[in-house]
Amino acid sequence: MKAADEELVALAKNGDTKAFEELVDRYKQKAYHIAFDFARDREEAKDLSQDAFLKAYMNIKKFDGRSGFYTWFYRILVNVCLDYRRRKQRAPVESYEEKLESGARLNQDPNAVPLPEQLVTAGQVSRKIGAALEALPPKQRTAFILRNHEGLSIREIAQMMQTAEGTVKVHLHRAVAALRQSLAEFA
Amino acid sequence: MTQQNKSSVTACETFEQELVLYYYGELGNTERNQVDTHIAGCEPCRLYLKQMASVLPITVAADDPPQAFWDDYSREMRHKLAALHESQSWWRSLLSSFSPWMAPVLATTAVVLLALTFNFGNKAWRANELPQDEESFMEILPMTENLEFFSNMEVLDAMDMLESMGGQANSAA
Repeated sequence: MKAADEELVALAKNGDTKAFEELVDRYKQKAYHIAFDFARDREEAKDLSQDAFLKAYMNIKKFDGRSGFYTWFYRILVNVCLDYRRRKQRAPVESYEEKLESGARLNQDPNAVPLPEQLVTAGQVSRKIGAALEALPPKQRTAFILRNHEGLSIREIAQMMQTAEGTVKVHLHRAVAALRQSLAEFA
Repeated sequence: MTQQNKSSVTACETFEQELVLYYYGELGNTERNQVDTHIAGCEPCRLYLKQMASVLPITVAADDPPQAFWDDYSREMRHKLAALHESQSWWRSLLSSFSPWMAPVLATTAVVLLALTFNFGNKAWRANELPQDEESFMEILPMTENLEFFSNMEVLDAMDMLESMGGQANSAA
């Protein structure tokens, strides 16, 4: 029988790393996919989600249990991803060739053997989408990812981004308008 | 041509933001009914909505890493957690070695040390300043550079003396 999250959290608060590892195993895939939405790179998504777990472990004593563990952890994870976006904004922009390569890496699955033309088409679509998202201003992109990919409400996004709901609506609208334009060929 | 038609779809300006919120289910009942009524009679807004519904879902990247990736992930996490736990335990053991009653003692000691440092530090700083004798010595030093001048003066004095002696000898003769 699986221990409840609350029990594992209680054990982790007493320094039981095994209990926390169990929590990591439960939520690592969800965490990874959220991080991947922000990073669109396998290794970076892994690092981001792991960083979020480490931050959660360091602050586990501050978790008061008013919400579920995942809800609490989710906020940490999204903040780690937002920090990553800010850092990336300051860092030199990745070249288009590098983006092409990371786009190709995205589609690598050792179990599947896609046909070369399928790989090229899928890679092209993925690259175009990646480039369109990357071209969005950071706040628009964040608002869009949190709503479109993560399904957060406008209110939740406003809390996460520490801004007004009206501002989030404007960011979201502009992001959608830009993506609709740049990805019109896929409509 | 098709692409051009697709990209040229524009919604009514006043409804564009509402349509986005409508798509995401972020409108209240009244606003949603308003949009419903509007799109029923507005072809461009209907197309705009249709385009959003076909474009936006494809922006979600589906990445499904193999099992080996997850095994690595778990192994790395175990190492990182162990390292973190280790560093935290070290600090905790250090902090736990201090009993609560030691806090005021440590605070007092810190204040005393601070006062002593200030006091002796001040003195040490003053000690670094040049003493009075040395200062006067430093004033003399540049004068030694003029030593040659004084020795020349002495020679001149000696010559004056010789001249006066010579004058006296002549007058005596």
